[in-house]
Amino acid sequence: MPAVGSDVVIAGIGETPVGRLPGWSPVEIQAAAVLAALRDAGFALSDLDGLINLDPYATPNSMFSSTLAEHLGVAPRFACTVDVGGTVTGMTMLQQAVWAIESGYCDVAACVYGENALTGRPAGAQGLHMHNLLGGEEWEEPFGLHGMVIPYALLAQRYLDLYGATDADLAAVALVTRRHALLNDNAQMRKPMTLEDYRASRLISSPLRLFDCSLVSDGGGALVLTRAGRAPQGRGRGVAIRAIGMKTTHNSVALMPDIPGLGMAAAGADAYEAAGMGPEDIQIANLHDAFTISVLVSLEALGFARPGEGGALVRSGAMDLGGRWPLNPHGGLLSQAHIGGMLHITEAVRQLRGEAGRRQVEGARRALVSGNGGIFSVCGAMILEKP
Amino acid sequence: MLDLLATPPNPTGASAPFWDACDRGELLFPKCGRCGHLFYYPRRHCPLCGDPGLGWQRMSGRGTVFSHSHVHVAFQGGAWDGQLPYTVVLVDLAEGPRMLSRLIGGDAAAVRSGDPVSVVFPQIGERRYPFFERAAAG
Repeated sequence: MPAVGSDVVIAGIGETPVGRLPGWSPVEIQAAAVLAALRDAGFALSDLDGLINLDPYATPNSMFSSTLAEHLGVAPRFACTVDVGGTVTGMTMLQQAVWAIESGYCDVAACVYGENALTGRPAGAQGLHMHNLLGGEEWEEPFGLHGMVIPYALLAQRYLDLYGATDADLAAVALVTRRHALLNDNAQMRKPMTLEDYRASRLISSPLRLFDCSLVSDGGGALVLTRAGRAPQGRGRGVAIRAIGMKTTHNSVALMPDIPGLGMAAAGADAYEAAGMGPEDIQIANLHDAFTISVLVSLEALGFARPGEGGALVRSGAMDLGGRWPLNPHGGLLSQAHIGGMLHITEAVRQLRGEAGRRQVEGARRALVSGNGGIFSVCGAMILEKP
Repeated sequence: MLDLLATPPNPTGASAPFWDACDRGELLFPKCGRCGHLFYYPRRHCPLCGDPGLGWQRMSGRGTVFSHSHVHVAFQGGAWDGQLPYTVVLVDLAEGPRMLSRLIGGDAAAVRSGDPVSVVFPQIGERRYPFFERAAAG
């Protein structure tokens, strides 16, 4: 299993402001996040010899790792661009960085993603404007399936039908992430949300409403990895990657397994087995929340709740700060910003260092970060542990 | 509802027979000549056993709704505004495979999962498309 026993740690994190960053290009955003992560670890720019990134969805670029390397002013021995999907891209970046450092290609590697998906989209575009093709167009576009909301709506309707769940279950996820975002100065959504507010938000693709959908954001997030003890500011602060589990089952929604068979369960089982842990060993759940339904499905696949009982778990307060498994203390993709899930990882590191301020989860030793790309097409589960 | 709108497919050599059959009012799915696997969507090999020896099976066109969504936003803007709201469905065909399609007809908004549906082939521009309508049970 990946990364178990490795002495490579996450030694630095960097985030840019999120929301609207007019006048910033994607490469400028990524460079700012990398520089912030290097400063956090105590490294100089010249120490950086590994660079892994994802190119922007709104304005796809080939060879974007060399674009970023040149812009930063570095000449890394190892550089690549990784595109897997959702937060699984971030996990795969970390995996690549661990392997590159362990095998001697580099000593200090940065993993980064960021873009201007909000201010960079064309006028009149709705939702995330992706220029990339996803491969299923021939079997989706003739039938009016455009973008990511409609396939998640089909998943959500199936969830409601399968378990007799209601919109109150979906709303519970939106409400808890908004409560948490109110404690984060770097969050796009700063107004409280009530159940009535949720129900008054417009239907986008039934049963999903506007407040079931994550944000479109400008911003960037970066992680710097090196061997434990190597970073000047890293002593006692390096966060370990205990395990990463991944599973890819399909691409388009027509070939998606039914909910109990989604790849998140296999990814989670691999991660738990590799770490020798279970949900009872986790204190923070940073779950990929591109849509509210994503969290309910993931909670159940990862063993936090029994099938069909994810909504009840969230409504019980267990996923609030002060509860058993606080969910996305930073506000997540739903209420902080959607930076491809990179901020789920930076937030987990911040929490495990005990540096999260008024949203600090007391006694947090381990965080589980989940990711899913496409329509649960590729799933990942990663366990991070405090030093 | 204004006239139906569909983004034309860009078939490959492997998928062209599927779309050509739709133009004749037939729903054809690929079937493996080696292991008998009937599947969607068309490929040049069987995704179960890898064999390239494929034939085509004419489908009944009957199925049930696995899931559905009524779409209220035109993500591609423009002419799609005139289609709103429209209904996207996942249909489990009677013979087994699941396909994504669009549910049309005046009663589409009242559809429930598990409802029986049957294929229709409306002409939209240059092609006919395998959409579905609600059908009487049984």
